[in-house]
Amino acid sequence: MWLIKMAWKNMWRNRNRTIITMAAIFFAVLLSIITSSLKTGVFDNLIKNMVSFYAGYIQIHKQGYWNEQILDNSFSMSDSLEQKILSEGKIIAIAPRLESFALASSEDITKGCLVVGIDPEKENKITGIKNKIIQGHFFNTTDNAVMVSEGLLKRLKLKLNDTIVLIGQGYHGSTAAGKYPIIGVLKFGSPDLNDKTLFMPLQLTQDFYSAYNVITSYVLSVKNTNALSSISNNIQKKAGSNYEVMTWEQMMPDVKQHIQTDSANMQIIQGVLYLLICFGIFGTLLMMMAERRFEMGMLIAIGMKKIKLAGMLLIESVFTVIAGCSLGMLASVPIVFYLNRHPLKIKGEPARIYERFGFEAIFPTSVSSTHFITQGIIVLIIGLLLSLYPVYKTILLNPVNAMRR
Amino acid sequence: MKLILLLLFGISLKTIYAQSATSIVKKADEKMRGTTSQAELIIKTIRKDWSREMEVKAWMKGANYSIILIKSPAKDKGVAFLKRKKEVWNWIPILERTIKLPPSMMSQSWMGTDFTNDDLVKESSIVEDYTHTFSGDTVIDKRDCYVIQFIPKPQTAVVWGKLRVCIDKKDYLELYTEFFDEEGKLINIMKAYDIKNMDGRLIPTHMEMIPTEKKNQKTEIIYKSILFNRSIDDNFFSVEKMKQLN
Amino acid sequence: MIIIMAWRNIWRNKMRSLVIMMSVIIGLFAGIMVLALYKGMLQGRVKTVIYAEVGHIQIHDSNFKKDYEPSYILKNGDDILTQLKKIPQIKSIALRSITQGMLSTTTGSAGIQINGIVSESENEVSQLSKKIIEGKGFDPRKKNEALIGKKLADKMKLKLNSKLVLTFIDSSANLVSGAFRVAAIFQSDNAPLDERNIYVRQNELNDLLSIAGNYHEIAVILDKNQNTEIIKQQLQKQFPDKSIESWREISPETDLMVNTVDVYSYIIIIIILFALAFGIINTMLMAILERTREIGMMTALGLNKLKMFLLVLVETIFLTIAGTPLGLMISWLIINYYNKHGLDLSGMGKDLMSSFGFSTIIYPEFPIEKIISVMLIVIITALLSSLFPAIKALKLQPVEALRK
Repeated sequence: MWLIKMAWKNMWRNRNRTIITMAAIFFAVLLSIITSSLKTGVFDNLIKNMVSFYAGYIQIHKQGYWNEQILDNSFSMSDSLEQKILSEGKIIAIAPRLESFALASSEDITKGCLVVGIDPEKENKITGIKNKIIQGHFFNTTDNAVMVSEGLLKRLKLKLNDTIVLIGQGYHGSTAAGKYPIIGVLKFGSPDLNDKTLFMPLQLTQDFYSAYNVITSYVLSVKNTNALSSISNNIQKKAGSNYEVMTWEQMMPDVKQHIQTDSANMQIIQGVLYLLICFGIFGTLLMMMAERRFEMGMLIAIGMKKIKLAGMLLIESVFTVIAGCSLGMLASVPIVFYLNRHPLKIKGEPARIYERFGFEAIFPTSVSSTHFITQGIIVLIIGLLLSLYPVYKTILLNPVNAMRR
Repeated sequence: MKLILLLLFGISLKTIYAQSATSIVKKADEKMRGTTSQAELIIKTIRKDWSREMEVKAWMKGANYSIILIKSPAKDKGVAFLKRKKEVWNWIPILERTIKLPPSMMSQSWMGTDFTNDDLVKESSIVEDYTHTFSGDTVIDKRDCYVIQFIPKPQTAVVWGKLRVCIDKKDYLELYTEFFDEEGKLINIMKAYDIKNMDGRLIPTHMEMIPTEKKNQKTEIIYKSILFNRSIDDNFFSVEKMKQLN
Repeated sequence: MIIIMAWRNIWRNKMRSLVIMMSVIIGLFAGIMVLALYKGMLQGRVKTVIYAEVGHIQIHDSNFKKDYEPSYILKNGDDILTQLKKIPQIKSIALRSITQGMLSTTTGSAGIQINGIVSESENEVSQLSKKIIEGKGFDPRKKNEALIGKKLADKMKLKLNSKLVLTFIDSSANLVSGAFRVAAIFQSDNAPLDERNIYVRQNELNDLLSIAGNYHEIAVILDKNQNTEIIKQQLQKQFPDKSIESWREISPETDLMVNTVDVYSYIIIIIILFALAFGIINTMLMAILERTREIGMMTALGLNKLKMFLLVLVETIFLTIAGTPLGLMISWLIINYYNKHGLDLSGMGKDLMSSFGFSTIIYPEFPIEKIISVMLIVIITALLSSLFPAIKALKLQPVEALRK
């Protein structure tokens, strides 16, 4: 007990030293929490951006649709299915889609295009399609009109308010044909989407393809993107084997791979940060021991057992490390939250590419509690391991040498 | 399955080989077409969950010209396809529009059947693109048949590895065909039966194309009537004429 | 005199000198390592896109990309080629004939892009031969051969030597078709791209397209990515009627990801420098606590304050100068090792890697062009940190300092 008391007193006696050591730990925790939460935040945001151009986090199709994307691989829209999916709970939004191929034609030009039948409001919640309108306006559920992507419009040499003719193959081999006014023009960052998509209200699309009450997919947006695969598995169980439930990772394996690679690379950089942290703490402890050599030598010379001295130093270090860690964790909370609400914004050239895709050029932090805890614990462990150094040093100490100045 | 369409749209005959197997194939090929033909057909698309029946009328002249007009179902009535050489035009009466099918459309199914649009324009000939050899005799529906093996000539744009065709010895009717891929796996079977006399010719009037891989799926073609060798002017096969058909 | 004193001081307290030197070494190492990793990473990331897919710059007829109509050949292509060969930054050039079409087999058909290529230049520009996982590529003794992607091969049930029929429109919008045999199956990191593209010999495709001797696309590899924009602008000036695009425009998704990582890395580097500065400052502060007595003594012995200040500074400069080459060398050795052998990350974030079975190896690159700035930052940080003890020394009352 007296050991603890003495350690405590020591800490207060030389406040400068304690503060310096604590500061080393404090900044280590702070920086590693910010790095880690920034890393997750930035990549989550990138994923959010990537999936929200079109695919969504999760899609539900009829079993086999993904491999053979034809109209006949569609399924009936039903409230009971929707309820089943929504009962999973973590779903923010669900939007039905009917996608198929058709020929779009102006007076003389005919091009293939992807026709996407959407529920305007629901779709907007997931892909923010309203923000992509550069001319004209959004349609209503019951409108008899279409929105065309900018590239397709140009290829067909049409403009807003012109009529576009669509011809395709309907459900079960019927002919699909119709002409519709263009009430909106959309701009997408992805050239693929920008050059060949056309959006129609869902019901109109179903009429066009004679695919009454039928859709090819439900697109879902979810709350907790970390639990994506478990959410997807649960939905799969609830929906049954007639449906296939796919996450964005399955639909866009290339994007998934790139993000994985990038994020793993960042892991190494975090490793370098730990190295620096170790060094910072170790340097501080090293100098502390150099400074206290005389004091230690004296204490041993007047009869204090080395083991007790080592214990005292260890207690001192543990106090300091824990205090530094807790303070660092506490201090990081407001900073991380602030950077989440008011994320770093980039300007200039890098921001341009974000704008092209219609994204905000921001770098938010992730406020998930795991960062605070894991990073706190990692630094704590580093700190504790390093505080074994003074212990080791004390045990090797030769009091006579130590007191010789 | 492409063969039926070729039958529908005509196959060019240019060179004649002296080989007897080839000459039999040539006779069989000639049997189903003349210089021109006008036919009324029913096309049935049969799938696992649904089926569909179309009545169509078809005019053909040589390998280069043909028109197909849809008579029923009501929703598609009046829709017509015109093939001129290697181009396909599609007339859609409710839109009053003609559209030239772009290459991107070529891999799409034609009217929901087992045929693609590409099958309409593909210039492949059962006489010219294959070498023919006898590989036995067989009996189908009490008719004696030659069994002839078709091997595609190198560099011809044919996907098949081999065809086994049974041709009636007396009337040169192609009654049964098996389509194999290059590994010898059976992909499609075509059956022809209901032999009737139409316009003075004895022909099978009912054909079935059955993909062996896909269960409960096939396409049937039934001839209601056919007229051979009536003269049709080249100008008949024009976009303007197609619009006026009904 | 001060210099001699500083020199002696360094040797007198070896531990302290070692720690300060170490701080410079580790600081330099960390800074260089981060930049090297970052450079290696960015290059790795961009490498696939540039060196395996699009090249740095592509040149087309300005109408070609709208619909990939084969009639829009690159007019005066050979003139352009001669001009390109004069530009020293251009390392390799591939000419491609391209058309959109359909592949059919007995199992069905698929929409694809047919690329007519010349193997040698294609291997230089898009590393095609390295992507081949089955078969050997074009055999000079055979005709009408095609290279297809693994994913397409699986989908269409194609094997080596299987026959496939390609159908497409030629330059006068007529449908043509030809039979080809699979000479090799390739697989790249970009599965959707593998599914869409097939490669045939350029002269054979050109015959079918009736565009003999012409092509639609020139893909260019430069000596380094930094030159992309300059060369692009230069070419645009030289050939104002052609469409000249950099990989950023052709693959904006990659640009987006690279950009994100780019900006993120800058933020991380700032954080790392912070950590570095804190580490050094903390060590230095501790060092001055230890030196209090010594400084007090010297002041008491009559060393004036300016000299005192200089003494501490000179000491630190010595140590920094000694640490810098050591730090550089260590980083160079380590980075070079990993540059050759690759840094395998699969052990680090297992859950991250395992799900798709990709091994992620990065090859850090020594950031030669940034060495000076890192060195400056580290040295300045070290010097600034050493000012603390110097300033503290100025404020110290000798009597107080000695009373320890």
